[in-house]
Parts: sequence; C-alpha cells; structure tokens
Amino acid sequence: MKVEPLLYGDRKVYTVSAFNRGVGSWLARLPTVWVEGEVTELRRQAGWQSVFFTLKDLEDGTCLPVSMPRRGFDGLRLELADGDRVHVYGRAELYGARGVFQLRALSIEPLGLGDVLAGLERLKRKLAAEGLFAPARKRPLPGFPRRIGLLTGHEAAAKRDFLTAVAARFPAASVVVAETYVQGPLAAEGIAATLQRLCAQPGVDVLVLARGGGSFEDLLPFSDERVVRAVASCPVPVVSAVGHEQDTPLCDLAADARASTPTAAARLVVPDERELRERLQSLKAALARAPLLLVERKRAGLEGIAGRLRALSPKATLRRGYAIVRTDNGIVRSAPTLERDKRVDVELAEGAFGARVEEISE
Amino acid sequence: MNAEPTFEEARKELERIVAQLESGRADLEQAEALWERGEELYRICLAKLDSAQGKIEELPREG
Repeated sequence: MKVEPLLYGDRKVYTVSAFNRGVGSWLARLPTVWVEGEVTELRRQAGWQSVFFTLKDLEDGTCLPVSMPRRGFDGLRLELADGDRVHVYGRAELYGARGVFQLRALSIEPLGLGDVLAGLERLKRKLAAEGLFAPARKRPLPGFPRRIGLLTGHEAAAKRDFLTAVAARFPAASVVVAETYVQGPLAAEGIAATLQRLCAQPGVDVLVLARGGGSFEDLLPFSDERVVRAVASCPVPVVSAVGHEQDTPLCDLAADARASTPTAAARLVVPDERELRERLQSLKAALARAPLLLVERKRAGLEGIAGRLRALSPKATLRRGYAIVRTDNGIVRSAPTLERDKRVDVELAEGAFGARVEEISE
Repeated sequence: MNAEPTFEEARKELERIVAQLESGRADLEQAEALWERGEELYRICLAKLDSAQGKIEELPREG
C-alpha cells in the first residue's frame, strides 16, 4: 500500500493513521512462522471476536501480544490456561487503532504436541501392521445381549446417557457398570484393567466404552497402546463411544463397532423391544397361515399335474373328433386286416356304436 | 435340537422356517415338523423376552 505524506515545504509528514497503515502493510509481508512461548494474561469474553493473550519467552521473559480469531480458537478445543507452553503459528501484525505490534495467530499447539502426534502415528502404523484394525477382525454384536458391560468415568454424563437410552429401547436389558479414571495419568492403566475385569463377569457378551467429549489430551488414554490392545484382545465384541464424532482415538479402530455418542452406542447394543415384539407377532401370524397356504399350494400343484395327465388320455383325442375302431382282435390300425361284413365296434368321445364293414380300400 | 437356543438363534431359525414354509418348497410330511418347530421357537423367543429382567449393577472398585 502506498502511503502519501503531507508536504510542509521540503518536509514529508505522515498522519498517525497513514504511518500505522504503512508499517502495518510492511509487517504483513513477513512470513508466517511458529513462535514458542508461555501463555500469560489470557483474555477471552463471550462478546469478543478475538481471544487475546501474551506470549512470554521461556528464557528471558520477553513478551509478545497475541490475538486469535475466536472461531479458530474455539475450533482447536484447547483448554488453554496461563502458564501453558505453546507453539503459536502466525504472523506479525500491527493493530492500527492503537499502534500495537502483535502476533496474529492462526493455530496453537501445546508444546510437545507434535511429538505426541508423531508417536500416535507410529503406534497406529505398528498396530495396523499387526492387523489389530483389520475389518476381518470385527465381530458382529449380539442382537440380544444377555449382559452388557459398560465402562465409564466416575459420575459421568456418558453413563447416564447410555443407561437412559438402553432403558428406553429395551427396559429388560442387564448392564454391569464399571467406573474408572477416563483421563489423566492413571486412565490408560485403569481402562485396560477395567476392560479385562468386565469381560470376566459372567454372562457379559458385549462391552461398551463410553466417554463424552474432551480435549485432545483428555482423550489420549483411549489411544494408549495398553487400552488399544485390551480392546482388541477382548473375548467379546466392544463398542467404542469415545469423544465426539470428529475424534478418532485408536481404540475406535480396534473396537468391533464405533458409536458417535453413548446414546448411539445404546442403539447399537440393544434391540428396540417394541419392534422385536411386532416382528415376533408377524412371524407367528405367518406361521399360523403356513399350513393352509402349503396345502393350497400342493393342491394347485396336483391339479396342474392332473390336467396334463388328462390331456394325454385317449378321451381327449376322441373329443377332437377321432374314433377308435375295434374288432375281437383289438384296435384296428390297418384296413386290409378287415373283411367285408365284419362287425366292428366304434368308440366316440361320447358313446359307441356297432357297424359292419362295407368297403375296404388300401 | 440339543441345547436350548439363545434368543438370536431361536429368532433366526424361526425366520428361516417361516420363509421355507412360505416358499412352498417343503414336503407336507416335513412341513408338519417345521411348523411344530416354528411354534416352539416362537414360544421360546416370547418367553425369553418376557422373562428378561432389567438389572443395572455396579462393579465394585478393584481392591
């Protein structure tokens, strides 16, 4: 942007606004980069279009104001707090109205997240190579579970949602609930062990892992190798209902079925009792109709055969105008075997008569 | 039949029997046995549905 100065004789003079615009457009040409620092003075309010914080150098405390559009910030689903160490991806910008230089953030990653992601990717490839995620390993869920094993967090909404949905669809379902830590350092171990305990409960023929949404870090235990292996080696089918639709913890890939919410998981594991009863009634009705239907069918089949048989009988031929001529020697097939005045019997479609031979031609 | 079937097994067999009877392919002699088996399966399914008792239990914490 070209900024025009005012001229006082030989002196070029810029207005504050023009100066800031000039510096701003010059800053805007700088590349987008990653900057590392610690979050302080995080400020966000419901009505604001942007989220603000100050990024502090980890060594000498140098400060840099940062702003990020609120929509982008919320989309990251970071539970960012003062003191967090982060990588911010953004570029230099001048906030013209106040003449403040700042970093305009496009993305923020907790420090070390890159390593975590790379580790997850390595684990995913390793487990995939072992065949843990193979479609051929997926088992069908029981259509009518005897006992459902549910693993959830303590006091979890996920548990309530699942049990409510189960009760609505199939009040007679049996569920055994095991609570454990579903986030934090104890979670992976706790989930893996609790899965095994649930599997060992008598009668349990399907397992559900239910956990509501959370930050990327919160859901990490569900991608832990111990948990993924426990899911894969579970002797009964496992339904994974972890996080939101867009989250794909590795346990989802190892599970036999995946549900977007605990309520959706309930729909997968229990049948709708009303539908089931209706289906049974219609089967019962079909069964009641079946014997009569079968006899009718057999009768129709029999009549078809009888019709074909009748068409082949001599009677049918006679009805078309033919006659059978007999002598004492049986049916006459050739005129020269007859003699004049010989008595013959002629059979027609309807009735018969006796006659004498008058003429014989060869 | 040896052991009592599960609900799913009973229901699948019932569906199969009804389909077989409706197709008209069964012999009359065979049909009677099929029909009786169907009725039995229907009673098994219904009994299992009716007798299922919803129960929510909490598994105690380890240790």
